[in-house]
Amino acid sequence: MKTIEWQYLIVSYLFLGGLSAGLFFVSALTELFRNGDSPREKIARVGALLAPWPVMIGCTLLVFDLGHWYRFYKLFLHFRWESPMSIGSWLLMSFIGVSLLYAYGWVPGSMREAVFERLPKRLRFLGVLNRDVSGWRRPLAIAGLPMSVGVAIYTGVLLGAVQSRPFWNTNLVAQLFLFSALSAGCALLILVLAASSQKFEMHEFQSLYLLDVSFLTLEFFIVVPYVIHGELSVEAVRESLKLVLGGPFTILFWVFFMGLGLLLPWAIEVYEALPLLLRHAQLVSRVDTATVAATGEAVSILADPGEQSPSRKLHFSRGWAVLAAVLVLISGVLVRYIFVFAGQMSAIQ
Amino acid sequence: MTNRPKRYALAIDTKKCIDCKACVVACRAENGVPIGKSRNWINEELHGDWPKLMGVFEPEQCHHCEEPACVRVCPTGASYIRSDGVVAINPSECVGCRYCMIACPYDARFFREDLGVVEKCDLCAHRLDRDELPACVETCPSKVRIFGDLNDPASEIHQILEKRQYRVKKREAGTGPNIYYLL
Repeated sequence: MKTIEWQYLIVSYLFLGGLSAGLFFVSALTELFRNGDSPREKIARVGALLAPWPVMIGCTLLVFDLGHWYRFYKLFLHFRWESPMSIGSWLLMSFIGVSLLYAYGWVPGSMREAVFERLPKRLRFLGVLNRDVSGWRRPLAIAGLPMSVGVAIYTGVLLGAVQSRPFWNTNLVAQLFLFSALSAGCALLILVLAASSQKFEMHEFQSLYLLDVSFLTLEFFIVVPYVIHGELSVEAVRESLKLVLGGPFTILFWVFFMGLGLLLPWAIEVYEALPLLLRHAQLVSRVDTATVAATGEAVSILADPGEQSPSRKLHFSRGWAVLAAVLVLISGVLVRYIFVFAGQMSAIQ
Repeated sequence: MTNRPKRYALAIDTKKCIDCKACVVACRAENGVPIGKSRNWINEELHGDWPKLMGVFEPEQCHHCEEPACVRVCPTGASYIRSDGVVAINPSECVGCRYCMIACPYDARFFREDLGVVEKCDLCAHRLDRDELPACVETCPSKVRIFGDLNDPASEIHQILEKRQYRVKKREAGTGPNIYYLL
């Protein structure tokens, strides 16, 4: 009997898990390559402090999607390497652990002290946890980085590793979910920073723009081959693609996901960051080519906000930043909605 | 092919099926399948226009694949293959994630909301253990279903598959289905 078994709870979880992975990825990457740069410390801190929560909410949703929620512990009595879900459950648990610890490492010391001082007497024993783990940030970032990529990509593997659903059964779904997740993490950071910075100085998080533009570009060049290859594939795959080529998901996929969710924010972010890209090109041409060959150098030049001459002012505006970020986040939910539902509707005939 | 002591399979002589649904009812009674769900069903295909009309009835249920996708994706090992080749579910290990339902190319599984677990045909494993035939096989009035052990050269199913042409459904899914439709 054909039924749509995985519905909105799973869609939400796939989005929230990816969002956390993206937040952690961007935060850890920034921490590892910021070279003591302080505006970028803010990116790393906000990313780290936000990262654990969406995935924890998502996992709660997952548990409540089970037949009986209290049976979830059985997932952790077994490890089956053939089952993406089994690998995923263990991966999620380790990722949540590392991201919580990493977030704790970013809690400002004064705030930590204040919280532990206010503990009621009965909970005083928790004082042992009042430790400064900020020194662990880098090792935790290094340990968590592959885990975050794992969490982001596994959601796509979960769907793709099923030969009976031709709409999913390609590696491109895993890649699409990976870059969509990383881009969602970037977008939420842009949104939070744009909304919370008192004096709006977008150049502080230009690296976020560059990352997000890269992720969106990659996402675009995954969706396009996904459709082209599908059309050139066996009948079952071609049939399943009709769901987005003339079928029920066509407008959602092309107009709302590809158009408003991918190309529009991409265009906004490119427009916003264009002067930065141009300046980068100039700088690179000025620097000795040998130094630029080492990517690390190129990144540090790129990341340097530097002083801009008035004529080279970046476009950065709060309104555009918020709009692009919101669009990216909505498209993150949308692409998962489309794939979860369309995938289950597809079948080998 | 994996080496199992037994490989229980089902051959279905489609032309004999009259769509009486006795197999469905027998299964429902034997296994306590709730109304609205089914462990087995009969596909109905109509060809041509009246009065030149042909109907084909094709019973279907879990195909008890050699390499079942449901068993592979199950995160707890609740879905497993018995040593006689029957693909079964251990309800006490099933968490109700329904990944197996999505992975099954035949949509042979259903979710018991009341029990929070997934169910499907297990060829009446409890009857097999008592050396009895599955309920659907025993009930079928027109002898559509031939049940037996493929590893046993003396079995009826082994002999009939040697002599007659057959097809399996969705071979391209690559799971090695074990329901053989005689042509």
